[in-house]
Amino acid sequence: MTAAPVVPAPARPVRALRVPLTAAGRMLRLELRRNVMPWLLPLTAGLFWFITYRPSMAYPPMWNLRAMTMQGTSLAVLVPTVVGAAAWLGSREGRHGMAELVSGTARPRWFRQLAAWAATTCWAVVAYLGCVGVLYGVTARQAAWGGPLWWPVVVGVASLPAFSALGFVAGALRPSRFTPPLVAVAAFLAFEISAQFIHGDHSYWQVSPLVAGPWEIGPDEGVATFYPYLPDLPIAQVMFLAGLTAALLGALGVPAGAGGRWLRGSAAATAVVGLVVAATAVGLAGTGRLDVHGMIAIPALHDAADDDPIRYSPVCSRTAVPVCLHPAYAGYLPVVVDALEPVLREVAGLPGAPARISQVAATYRQDPGNGVRIGRAGPPVSGTPPVFHLVLPSHLARRTATGDFAAEVRATVGRDLVDAVVGGGRGATPAQQAVADGMLRTSTLPPGSPAAAAARRFAALPAAARHAWLVDHLAALRTGDVTLGQLP
Amino acid sequence: MNVELIEVTRRFGRTRAVAGVTMEAGPGVLGLLGPNGAGKTSLLRMMATVIPPSSGRIRLLGRDPGGYGQRRQIRRGLGYVPQNLGYYPRFTVVEFVEYFALLKEMPPARVHHAVAAAVERVGLGDKARAKLATLSGGMLRRVGIAQAIVNEPELLLLDEPTAGLDPEQRVAFRALLRDLGQAATVVVSTHLVEDVGAACARVALMDRGRIVFRGTPDELAGRAEGTSAAGDAPLERGYSAVLAEVRS
Repeated sequence: MTAAPVVPAPARPVRALRVPLTAAGRMLRLELRRNVMPWLLPLTAGLFWFITYRPSMAYPPMWNLRAMTMQGTSLAVLVPTVVGAAAWLGSREGRHGMAELVSGTARPRWFRQLAAWAATTCWAVVAYLGCVGVLYGVTARQAAWGGPLWWPVVVGVASLPAFSALGFVAGALRPSRFTPPLVAVAAFLAFEISAQFIHGDHSYWQVSPLVAGPWEIGPDEGVATFYPYLPDLPIAQVMFLAGLTAALLGALGVPAGAGGRWLRGSAAATAVVGLVVAATAVGLAGTGRLDVHGMIAIPALHDAADDDPIRYSPVCSRTAVPVCLHPAYAGYLPVVVDALEPVLREVAGLPGAPARISQVAATYRQDPGNGVRIGRAGPPVSGTPPVFHLVLPSHLARRTATGDFAAEVRATVGRDLVDAVVGGGRGATPAQQAVADGMLRTSTLPPGSPAAAAARRFAALPAAARHAWLVDHLAALRTGDVTLGQLP
Repeated sequence: MNVELIEVTRRFGRTRAVAGVTMEAGPGVLGLLGPNGAGKTSLLRMMATVIPPSSGRIRLLGRDPGGYGQRRQIRRGLGYVPQNLGYYPRFTVVEFVEYFALLKEMPPARVHHAVAAAVERVGLGDKARAKLATLSGGMLRRVGIAQAIVNEPELLLLDEPTAGLDPEQRVAFRALLRDLGQAATVVVSTHLVEDVGAACARVALMDRGRIVFRGTPDELAGRAEGTSAAGDAPLERGYSAVLAEVRS
């Protein structure tokens, strides 16, 4: 130490700033540089790869599936790390015995707390966007149609300040080295458990940022493919998260010592407004309903323009009866064509047989409890020439092998198709059931029953004989005027 | 006067740490001496606006620290090194001092130069980029002093500032104190009487929450004349004599 009034240059001079920063900017820069979050980035990246990236990549390369999977799982990755890091920062003054030193400085305590919180949040957002960028980048190279869904990303980004504020407040209130791990685990468990309380489309718990659509369905190909991704629930979630963030940060500024009267009043007002906004968002989420397109619509936030279908050009097979799918499903076209080809061969040329198979949007209906019924709007066949409206099975990704998927298509779509031609379905006559089973070579009838025996008999006929009989008797079969005994 | 205390008391539960202190201090170095538990740290913490007095009146730098706005004004011109200096181990010396420069609301344009000056002034120029976790106790003490003087305070409060410093550093520190005391009011709480003798123009001796002596170091040393007070140096003997007189 010297008493020299003139200061010589330091041995290793401090580099001058190129861009003049405000005090808040300089404070944030310091906090960013010495934040604990960068140390957690490798862990975050590893968890993201394991919990989010791998499961997302297991889904078909469809934007809706990847985005909806990403929203829930990536937040599960970031909750413990962000909450823990923020709690570590929040408890920093207490753990390092700095409270005495900093409390004698001019700037309000709220200022330095907000700077530390903001730095943690910035790092979390960078980590999150980096992870999302990788996932979306890979999906962009694989997806056959469409573009990124941004609302799940917005919800994810909006979650991070709230998690960070939650951890920071916990750390500031209980400055101990045990607080960060405890609050991180508690937040993770609370976050994951909250989703288990969702029952039906009117649940208030849908406000949880884990929820990217109807919770009972999960990521589903049919959602946000034919119709836009509804922003209703994401808007409510962002409102909730923003409100929660404001309430938590406002609460930090209320205690005596946080600042002057004006500042503490502002902090209290921020906290109250945040609480009101968060409560409003919870209320809005509770008014949600499952719309027919498979998204949660909130009447107060709903824009009717979002109900207009998305225009697209279908991809069609070059078969005698063209099979046309939504371009997002282009990858499934060969499998669907192969699965339906035997059925189409059976019905080709029959009166009323479809001239084209065209995929349509599935419809979704909330059943009591947590059930959702996925079906088709309108009749299976309509128009002139007749067009069969195809609804592909949902949750394609769960069909682990192509063979499983083809069998499912044959069993469901093929059955629909035959039923539409011979007049089957609910209330079908035994003769209609037997003919349908015979054409599909399935055995859905009670073993040993006359209908099962007739089905076996019909299936055993040469294809030409079956076809000839159907040409002659299809009209009577459709009207239910053919008995089992009249089957060949 | 930069420091005006009138009948200031401070209680912690039933314990009266400061029991009616009245004092004034202008520019110069004031040494605050006293045995352990005399109330020096509590008095300093009140002057640092960290804790309010239980009763009495305090004016610092011509302002009343009771109101938030004035307290904030005072803090802009205040430097404080507490007895137990906390620090963020992952900050570098420069970052730590810059952190406090910003907390003291220094104009951002001045921060860079002021930080470099403060770091150099405490002799840590060659350690400017070192993380605090890598520094010795004495160096950390100097970092604490650097953060206290970075805003060129009008009122500098130092609680046991030389604890952990080696003799060479202590000599340099005394010189720094004398230099700072030319323009600012410096209050140094210490139990090392040689620090007071070397650096302080005035000295106050506290015992059981009260100021029992106020004067120059020479006057304190003179109080030992004609007594059999214990001590190796005149100031120590004066210190012992005053305490013995008060307690008798």
